[in-house]
Amino acid sequence: MRTGARSLAHIVNPLFRAPLLASLLLTLSVSAFAIAPETSSPAAPELPPAQDFVAKDRPGDSGNSILLTWKDPAGLPAEAKLQIRRAEPPAYEWSEIQTVKQGVGRYVDSSARDRAVYRYEIRVVSDATPDSAGIAGAVSAPLLSDPVTSKDNWFRAERSNSLIASILFIGIILGSIRYAQSGRKIFIRRIAGLNAVDEAIGRATEIGKKVFYIPGIQSMDDIQTIASIAILGHVARATARYGTDLDVPNKDPLTFVSAREAVKAAYLSEGRPDLFREDMVNYVTYDQFAYTAAVSARMIREKPAAIFLIGYFFAESLILAETGQSTGAIQIAGQADPTQLPFFVATCDYTLIGEELYAASAYLSREPVLMGSTRGQDIAKGILLLLGIVGVVLASFGNTWIADHLKTQ
Amino acid sequence: MPGFIDRMLTLDRRWIFLFVLVSVATPIIYPIGLPVTTTGSTRAAFEYIEALKPGDVVWISFDYGPSSAPENDPMAEAIMRQCFTKKVRVLVSVFYPLGGLGLANSAVAKVTAEFPDLKYGEDYVNLGYKDGAAAVMHRLGDDISGPFPTDVNGRPIGEIPMMRGIHDIRQVKLVFTAATGIIGEWWITQVHSQFGTPIIIGPTAVSAPKYYAYLNAGQLLGMLGGMKGAAEYEKLLAGAHPELAKFYKTTRAFTATKGMDGQTVIHTVILAFIVLGNYAFFRARAAKKRGAA
Amino acid sequence: MNLEFGRVALVVLFGILPIIGIAMGLRAPSLRSRIPIFIGIFAGFIPIVALYVPKAFLSGETGMSSRLDLWLIILAAFALLLGIVNVVQNSSRKIGRREKGWPYAVVLLTGLAVTGSFGIYGAVTGHGIGFMPDGSSTPFKWVEDRFFQPLQSTIFSLLAFFMASASFRAFRARNAEASILLVAAGLVMMGRVPLLEFLAAPIPPLHAAAASASQFLGKLTEWIMDTPNGAAQSGIIIGAALGAASMAIRVILGIERGYLGLGKGE
Repeated sequence: MRTGARSLAHIVNPLFRAPLLASLLLTLSVSAFAIAPETSSPAAPELPPAQDFVAKDRPGDSGNSILLTWKDPAGLPAEAKLQIRRAEPPAYEWSEIQTVKQGVGRYVDSSARDRAVYRYEIRVVSDATPDSAGIAGAVSAPLLSDPVTSKDNWFRAERSNSLIASILFIGIILGSIRYAQSGRKIFIRRIAGLNAVDEAIGRATEIGKKVFYIPGIQSMDDIQTIASIAILGHVARATARYGTDLDVPNKDPLTFVSAREAVKAAYLSEGRPDLFREDMVNYVTYDQFAYTAAVSARMIREKPAAIFLIGYFFAESLILAETGQSTGAIQIAGQADPTQLPFFVATCDYTLIGEELYAASAYLSREPVLMGSTRGQDIAKGILLLLGIVGVVLASFGNTWIADHLKTQ
Repeated sequence: MPGFIDRMLTLDRRWIFLFVLVSVATPIIYPIGLPVTTTGSTRAAFEYIEALKPGDVVWISFDYGPSSAPENDPMAEAIMRQCFTKKVRVLVSVFYPLGGLGLANSAVAKVTAEFPDLKYGEDYVNLGYKDGAAAVMHRLGDDISGPFPTDVNGRPIGEIPMMRGIHDIRQVKLVFTAATGIIGEWWITQVHSQFGTPIIIGPTAVSAPKYYAYLNAGQLLGMLGGMKGAAEYEKLLAGAHPELAKFYKTTRAFTATKGMDGQTVIHTVILAFIVLGNYAFFRARAAKKRGAA
Repeated sequence: MNLEFGRVALVVLFGILPIIGIAMGLRAPSLRSRIPIFIGIFAGFIPIVALYVPKAFLSGETGMSSRLDLWLIILAAFALLLGIVNVVQNSSRKIGRREKGWPYAVVLLTGLAVTGSFGIYGAVTGHGIGFMPDGSSTPFKWVEDRFFQPLQSTIFSLLAFFMASASFRAFRARNAEASILLVAAGLVMMGRVPLLEFLAAPIPPLHAAAASASQFLGKLTEWIMDTPNGAAQSGIIIGAALGAASMAIRVILGIERGYLGLGKGE
């Protein structure tokens, strides 16, 4: 009669022995993992464990992140900290990933890999508190999380309010454009600085001097620079029409390239490509004050009749504007950011303030599409104003619903 | 009198430049020692840092260049001195590309030399310069080691003892940005709005008016506006910590307090010119009306 | 070859499509102006969508939006090259024709050559543009410390002079608004510095009065900066932000074409 083991070996076909052994081992390890991985030393009665420990995929992210949240237990010694450990595939051994102070309550593990199954535990540690054996370095009972996987998500829910507002805003703009395209007249109030553009170029033509156009010192990723280049296109068409000399010194290389193409296209569209010169739009230098020194010196030497300072300026605004003022040129400035506006107002003949800069292209071209979008922008401003007033009144009575829902993340 | 009025109305600006030069240079050579009064926004900033506990972390960002160093250097140094006196740990970063890192290194070297017990890597860390300020600030909420994998000396962040307990910007108690240009606003929109980290800003005097809107909205904890703000902070610091007063009594080094003497004189000169100019303007207008009549 | 979706999409949208567009534009010139508009539409929509859709291929560390930021930096470097070529061309022409101010062009080219070669030396030797291993400055840093920084500070300091001359000229009480500006400016200038203490310094009996008047002016200045100034700044910032958003939508949708030099109907 064969023994049990030998009977088993005899029953199981040798061909299946290896895979069977492997699957047996795997089952044992997974079940071991599913039951509870090996944890730390026994808990000391003095240290209460953390509470409500949750590990989940961090919502609204691009993946590789697990969000851990917990509540600190009451009665912890001041020097106690919370130790976070992680068991990761394939070995599923516990390793410490972070120790955080009390009062934090959350931790983002941004070293997680997508689609890997992790397990986390949190325990309170205190170097000063002795454990049950009287040795310094007590550790509380660990709190385990469910297995968790990280993945990237389709939507950032915390930005829903921003998305709704954006869609509404775009809808208002497009609606106003349709309104304008239907032939209805749209009113834009008089903007003295923009009315003076043709006057300034005409003056330069009469005197026979140059027009200087300075498009700010920021790059093309700034919307004020884009607005400035749009106005430059209009100015270039006018100088092409009247045969006036134009000089556009640039601080940023991308702005230089865009300005050159805008001016070239403008001269072409006016049928005066012969008047365009490559040195009309030139690059000076990338340094703010070196550029300022060069342009100021050029203004003093060449004494332009008209100077346009339109775009995003910083500290050099007053130096440029005051130098231009000293040459006797007519100066038109424009900036949306309020920081340098006082200097322009003090030194220039006309100043475009804030959003007047962005309305310039609509104002100068009078295109229905652009006029319509300016109208839409004003409607949106009216809605914001109303929300602001209602919000202030409500907040005065202790209701912060509007303020809370307008916060962005 | 008519000659004086004409001369005032058509005054060559070079006379004004000459007066400005003398007004600014004289108090620097012969300090006056005028008093400095403090304002609410500076006091709010000071009191917040005074209330921090030993071991807390403050992030100091050098977001300015050599052109505004006379305004911003004293602010950054004063904040660092206060932090080190209170045993608050300091993280330094730089987001201004042209010359910012050199200024940060000089300021850190200068102030840490005044506190011989400080240890680099335990009491302070210099993360160095990083390009793409707004994008980097946005990522600080996830993990500081992502945008700053090493410190300014090339040492991996994970190996620095101080950084072991600091994973993201939420473990930082405060950000102080000595800023010129738009970088200060990015700290507010990218860090405070996203992660709630308190921000104190030290802008140049020219940019300071813009930040009152953020102060009033509660997006800024405090502000040190220009050299005046820096001088106020020096006064508060020397008052609360008399052992630091010696750094502001020295006759050799430039301090914001000394710079305020020059600013006072130049304000006086400019006001005098404005008064004279308006006097001449009104007399000329009256003479014109009399002539027309 | 890494063929992740985001990378392929960017190459198709910003590489292959523009090339096809240019080729088509050679046959139909009116199409040529459409290519930058289409590039603008895609370049605008990708970061906006990435703001709300955090999928890794779009807004991850190596996603389309992050790559676009990197491409902008690379583009700027190439544009800088174009700029430098332009500077050298213009300066050389000026020197060759002995135009007015040609010595300045010589100085500019000399500075460009010297500083550029110091930078290249730093790159080639591996010392960079900071400090040498022994702590001394590299040639580039020497030029930066001895020329660049003092020159920068000098030009910045011109602001003090220009502010004085601008104030003298601009602060005239011509009308009601100018008068308000004048009074507010005067109060703020007096409140920001201990001006009254400075003026009363030689007259001891006036010291106490000057100190309390200075305190009052300081509080008044704070109120002016906090309340009227804060309100005005908030209004301008909000209005400008809406204007910027509207302009950005126009650019992204291809409605705004002025920055391309295109006029009405083009």
